[in-house]
Amino acid sequence: MSLKAFHIVFVAASVILMAFLSGWSFLAYQETHSTEYLVWSLCAASSVVGLVIYGRFFLRKLRNISFL
Amino acid sequence: MEIPYTYKARPDTGLYNAKVGIWLFLASEIMLFGALFSAYILLRVSAPVGFWPDVALAWPRGLLNIPIGTFNTAVLITSSVTVVLAWAALKMNNFARFRVYMVITVLCAFAFLGIKSFEYNDKFSHYVIRLQDGKALTGHIEVDGKHPRFWNFSDQWSVAKLAEQKVAKIKVEMDPERDVHGHVKAHGSHDHEVREVAVSDIVFMGSYTPATHPFFAVYFLITALHGLHVLGGALVLGYFAFPGAKMWKSNPEQFINRIEVGGLFWHFVDLVWIFLFPVVYLL
Amino acid sequence: MQSTASHAHTSATDSSHGHAHHEPGFFSKYIFSTDHKVIGIQYGVSALLFLLFGFFLMLAMRFQLANPGKPVPLVGPLLEKVLGEDMAKAGVMGGDLYNSFGAMHGTIMVFLAIVPVLFGAFGNYVTPLQIGAPDMAFPRLNMASFHAYFLGGVVMIASFFTPGGAARSGWTSYSPLASVTDLVNRFDGQTYWLMGMVLLITSSLLGSVNFIATIIQLRCRGMSWMRMPFFVWAQFVTGFLLLLAFPPLEAAGLMQLMDNLFGSSFFLPQGLVVSGSPLQVSGGGSPLLWQHLFWFLGHPEVYVLILPAIGIVTEVISNNIRKPLWGYKSMVYSVMSIGFLSFIVWAHHMYLTGMGTKVATFFQTTTMMISIPSVIILTALFISLWGGSIRFNSASLFALSFLPMFGIGGLTGLPLGFNASDIFLHDSYYVIGHFHYVVAPGTMFAVFAGIYYWFPKITGRHMNELLGKLHWAGSLFFMNCVFAPMFIQGFKGMSRRMSDGGTTYFGLGVDPGVLKLNNMIFWSAIGLGICQIPFIINFFSSIFMGKRAASDNPWQATTLEWSTPTPPPHGNFLQEPVAYRGPYEYSVPGAKSDFSPQGDKN
Repeated sequence: MSLKAFHIVFVAASVILMAFLSGWSFLAYQETHSTEYLVWSLCAASSVVGLVIYGRFFLRKLRNISFL
Repeated sequence: MEIPYTYKARPDTGLYNAKVGIWLFLASEIMLFGALFSAYILLRVSAPVGFWPDVALAWPRGLLNIPIGTFNTAVLITSSVTVVLAWAALKMNNFARFRVYMVITVLCAFAFLGIKSFEYNDKFSHYVIRLQDGKALTGHIEVDGKHPRFWNFSDQWSVAKLAEQKVAKIKVEMDPERDVHGHVKAHGSHDHEVREVAVSDIVFMGSYTPATHPFFAVYFLITALHGLHVLGGALVLGYFAFPGAKMWKSNPEQFINRIEVGGLFWHFVDLVWIFLFPVVYLL
Repeated sequence: MQSTASHAHTSATDSSHGHAHHEPGFFSKYIFSTDHKVIGIQYGVSALLFLLFGFFLMLAMRFQLANPGKPVPLVGPLLEKVLGEDMAKAGVMGGDLYNSFGAMHGTIMVFLAIVPVLFGAFGNYVTPLQIGAPDMAFPRLNMASFHAYFLGGVVMIASFFTPGGAARSGWTSYSPLASVTDLVNRFDGQTYWLMGMVLLITSSLLGSVNFIATIIQLRCRGMSWMRMPFFVWAQFVTGFLLLLAFPPLEAAGLMQLMDNLFGSSFFLPQGLVVSGSPLQVSGGGSPLLWQHLFWFLGHPEVYVLILPAIGIVTEVISNNIRKPLWGYKSMVYSVMSIGFLSFIVWAHHMYLTGMGTKVATFFQTTTMMISIPSVIILTALFISLWGGSIRFNSASLFALSFLPMFGIGGLTGLPLGFNASDIFLHDSYYVIGHFHYVVAPGTMFAVFAGIYYWFPKITGRHMNELLGKLHWAGSLFFMNCVFAPMFIQGFKGMSRRMSDGGTTYFGLGVDPGVLKLNNMIFWSAIGLGICQIPFIINFFSSIFMGKRAASDNPWQATTLEWSTPTPPPHGNFLQEPVAYRGPYEYSVPGAKSDFSPQGDKN
């Protein structure tokens, strides 16, 4: 596997981690009703979006470099 | 005869030697960290209930600083992005940009290690104290007006040492109360309650170190081993950014391969953290 | 057929005229060499020395078992002087010394002798030659691998001289025993053992990465996967076993190191009481965890010990029967299935730990499954003999006697693989007998066969046949005299861990005849040692005085290592080798001679 392909795998894993963090924080918010956890949850959710956008940008930018 | 395929790909496998080598090495690393994660699971599942004095649970939860851990995760993800961009810059024949990205990667690595050592320091000076009445306290302690710190191992306190030094009372900066899931019960008030504890009341006292609970043992072992990998990777990438970059002139193809191999290792190290962070911090 | 050309004696010096070779100094030639052949010889010599050392440890133990409480003859005073009075008072082996000899015999034999000689020595020397490669893929890693191995060996030997002596919790180092043997001195023999193991694991990790990469990348033109000699296949699978099975032991070793040095409780359960007083640790760990991690290595390790041996035997047998190997493909697929299955059989070492019947049934089933490919390989080798015109030289005698000996070792393993019968036989001398039948007359015979077989390629001279046959006959006889009685002792329930040879059992009504066998085993072991003297003489004298090999291919073999000059120069081949056919084309109808080398075009 090339570095490019591994990077995609890595970004995918990061997306899953951030989605998990978002869910975890949201559950914590439901239990504790502390806004701090809600903010965490939203931040993690937005980083999911950010990472997906980055992944697409990365694939487009490196379209001509190395194979997957 | 010379050794073939040192940097040119072998036609039928499509790989150069070093790439085969690094993936085999990573496979064994997966087994190493896999064994440690399995050990974590087995220890946690088989832990006796009521063992950890803080809560009525077998396994301590919520003891690690999640915001700091999340920040460190972001640092590592950033470093992975920059290392792959450094490699892409070389592929596009832009050496200056390669060096900038590589320097950022190495800086991220050292930032990660710095933050990690701050966390370690905090844990080494954090105590759990079990009292005569069966209740337990956790928090940083104050002995004779001084806050023990990690950097000096003789600063570790125990009941025996307190008795030996004839300390009658210590102060404990209590941690906020947590529910059984490890969530802080009442948020908002950040100032810690300080409690005075008579040494004669203490049954057991131990800092957040491997000897106190298997959780700390496994936490310190995995994170320390991961930290060593980060350090090693940072040194190698730093070498490629400066002294090793001579090869860019003599054999650019092999140099790009080296960066790719280094990047693969770096991605693996970061991927370990992606698994490590939820397992030890969140769950 | 270019037989005249390829059989002419080409020496390394002839070939190096073209190159501008500068003569390397002593250190870069013999200590820091990156040439796979030199590293192979380094591995071989050190491993054989460790083998001898492990053998002497065993002799001392066998003496103690046959004559409990008597001073060890010859070396007794030395033991007392070197290791101290608490270890060997008046030359009598104490219980602690016996235990540490037992642990170190196992460790040294498995990790410092057999694996290095099979994988490090034969693997390094022969594998690149057989696939037509100029060297290993990563020569400097190869050198680092040897140095890590050597350092690990030094650490292991040094541990004998630490206060408290070497590790003495068995070669398996079961926790909590291993963590509580020395509570005063934290930096004890066990800690040395763990550090030595980390070095040895590093060494085999570097080695296995190198081997697999070499076999994948450096096969010469025409050397497709199914044209590789079986020895290379065995090394390939062994490489994967070492690569993937060792890291869990490394993890476990780090955990035990933390238990020893930092007082953590990975493997120490709550409420542990040692010699009457509760241990001052947090507890909460799991002793089973160590066993799982250890045997996750331990079982593939057994196949690491046997697969390269089977590879060597295959090479020697196929060359000496002068006919194609029967079922080459099924052997290849079998060795691959052994590789896969060996990762899911480990807990058959742990039936007595109370894992539960469901888990035990699973591992019992996989254990029976793994015996199938092993039997396929052995059967293929047996059938290959059918109708062959067998040459009975020393190498082939050792290889041929490997087959029944390994067969005994394998078949006696079946009762241990079954849950119900293992509970009776566990930790008895039966286990010792079974395991040693696999490794001693099994693997060791293959090692000897390999030495006799490849000696002409490495030195350019043959070993003496008469001494070789003497060595073979004596070894075969005494090996069986040493290990067969152990089965009887095991059936009678004699424990493997008794430093007095089971005298304690005597009072409990065990047949004293079983104890008398200890004496027989001891004298047979002495006999076995004496039978190695012709080999040692033969080995060293043949280097200088042996009969010169008539050509580069004295055995008239087909594989590529025989089409190099003798000994092969740096870079191995004079021109790029090409594999034109399969590895075992003997007695091909219509061919001019009874062998068709892989590298010959027609």
